[in-house]
Amino acid sequence: MIKFEHFPGEKHLICRFSGRLDTLICISLSEEIQNKLQELKQGQSETNLLEEKIDFDMKDVTFISSSFIRICLIIFKNSQKGNFAIINCDPFLKKIFKIAGLDDLLRVS
Amino acid sequence: MTEELLKKADELLEKAVFAAAVFQQFDQEQTDRIVERVFKAGFNNRVKLAKMACEETGIGNWQHKVLKNVIATQMVYDDIKNEKTVGVISHDEITGITEIAQPLGPIFAVTPVTNPTSTVLYKTLICLKTRNPILISAHRGAVKSCAETVRICYEAALEAGAPEDCIQIIPAGSRDFTHMIMSHPKIALILATGGTGLVKAAYSSGNPAIGVGPGNVPVFIDVSADIPFAINNIIISKTFDNGTICASEQSVIIEKHIEKEVIAEFEKQQCYFLTPDEIKKVESIAISPDSGTMNPLIVGQSATVIAKRAGIDIPGGTKILLAKLEGVGKDYPLSVEVLAPILAFYSTKDYHEAIKLCIDLNYLGGIGHSVGIYANNEKRIMEFSQIMNAGRIVVNTPTSQGAVGGIYNLLPSSFTLGCGTGGKNITTENITARHLINIQRVCRRKPNDKFFAFDSSKYLDESLDADTIINEYNKNH
Repeated sequence: MIKFEHFPGEKHLICRFSGRLDTLICISLSEEIQNKLQELKQGQSETNLLEEKIDFDMKDVTFISSSFIRICLIIFKNSQKGNFAIINCDPFLKKIFKIAGLDDLLRVS
Repeated sequence: MTEELLKKADELLEKAVFAAAVFQQFDQEQTDRIVERVFKAGFNNRVKLAKMACEETGIGNWQHKVLKNVIATQMVYDDIKNEKTVGVISHDEITGITEIAQPLGPIFAVTPVTNPTSTVLYKTLICLKTRNPILISAHRGAVKSCAETVRICYEAALEAGAPEDCIQIIPAGSRDFTHMIMSHPKIALILATGGTGLVKAAYSSGNPAIGVGPGNVPVFIDVSADIPFAINNIIISKTFDNGTICASEQSVIIEKHIEKEVIAEFEKQQCYFLTPDEIKKVESIAISPDSGTMNPLIVGQSATVIAKRAGIDIPGGTKILLAKLEGVGKDYPLSVEVLAPILAFYSTKDYHEAIKLCIDLNYLGGIGHSVGIYANNEKRIMEFSQIMNAGRIVVNTPTSQGAVGGIYNLLPSSFTLGCGTGGKNITTENITARHLINIQRVCRRKPNDKFFAFDSSKYLDESLDADTIINEYNKNH
């Protein structure tokens, strides 16, 4: 459901998702992402925003739930301005973020 | 305070918008599975919810509220289950037009105290069928029973895989909060069922709204009618949940020469004709003297309770109180809508006077709603129907159950009855799932041969009149 690709030199994390990201799956996804972020934050102050640029790659995603939208918002709030984006959405997924009113905020492409 | 409310409204609407976005991904099969599960959950709890509503509101009786819940689940489900509401819903080879259904977005559903659980069940089913999240505002007198209905529906919906927050109930709060939600830019549509003030507020909110108007239902018993049958049906309707359906009969109109027979039949079937003094007493508790509208305290009470409150003695087991009136309007307070087993009764000198009186009653606060006729004369049925201003002309049928559809006829089962422009509504139809979709039309090229064969420069020639151009336009076709 999720694979991380981290490029420490470029301070860039790509989270590649796949399949149905329904409410149940999102519970474990959220935990995995939080753990990864904790790992990245080591050495950083707890209160600071993440230094990493984070991309959510949606190329192989077939369904998203409200819980996934909330995960996106949490990561967005923990990232520095302009450092979070949702990439490789198919037009249908793009429309979902558009309806949710988040396509600009989350830099959906 | 306002900021706090605004924040709360934003939070509710954000959840609803996310649910709307997620709902976009559901196909017809997934949607239908959710609707079926919610229908069954609502239906299986029909008795419990009816008892809760009755106990909480003190209105009507639980047995009839069970039937309302049955209409809101079984009948509504039967009506919508095979309807296409997702994706391509039709294609016409001849016109080349394909129709695609799209959901509207978050729907704000305001529900009345008279039919609380049934309205929640019905609105929830039609919203889910169309992939629209629903936010429910319960009447302050029916918060608990509505909240329980929402809980049951929501749990069933989630079990069937519905998006989180697809059904929400807004916290019981101030009127300001309700108005704030109504006018929130993220609301796609308001489904307003309630009093005139509420419906007007919905229409004034700046968001699209489907509202309903009030009723004041006259029922004409023609000389061709089967009188015992007509009276029996009127009683079935007017006593249904103690008269709380807005399509229930408010007045009975007959021609003078059948008066004796009609009165005798009403009395035989345990209805009571009030004396002039008793009419005054009932008026004083049933109608508010300031507004001239019904007193909420008698809504949904039985004839016995009303008589007791009015201080009059009536025979035990009386089903309906009838008030013989001479006119219509503010000088005759019982000529307005009263959602209780009280009926105005008019005896007129002939058929035309009877119909003219029906027009007056129809236009006294009930324009566009429903009217009833008992007759075995098709000509009169059609004449009456064309004269009245009503979305539903209910023939030889109890108007309460007849107007909501599903039991006595094939009207769509609904607890929101459109009243047309006369009732300040957009439609006269019974509101159902098909009113809650945006229909997109894919229109393929099908050139208009006449237009392309015609020399369109002739449109520029002012000397050519309509007949000349139309003749030329249609030439050889």
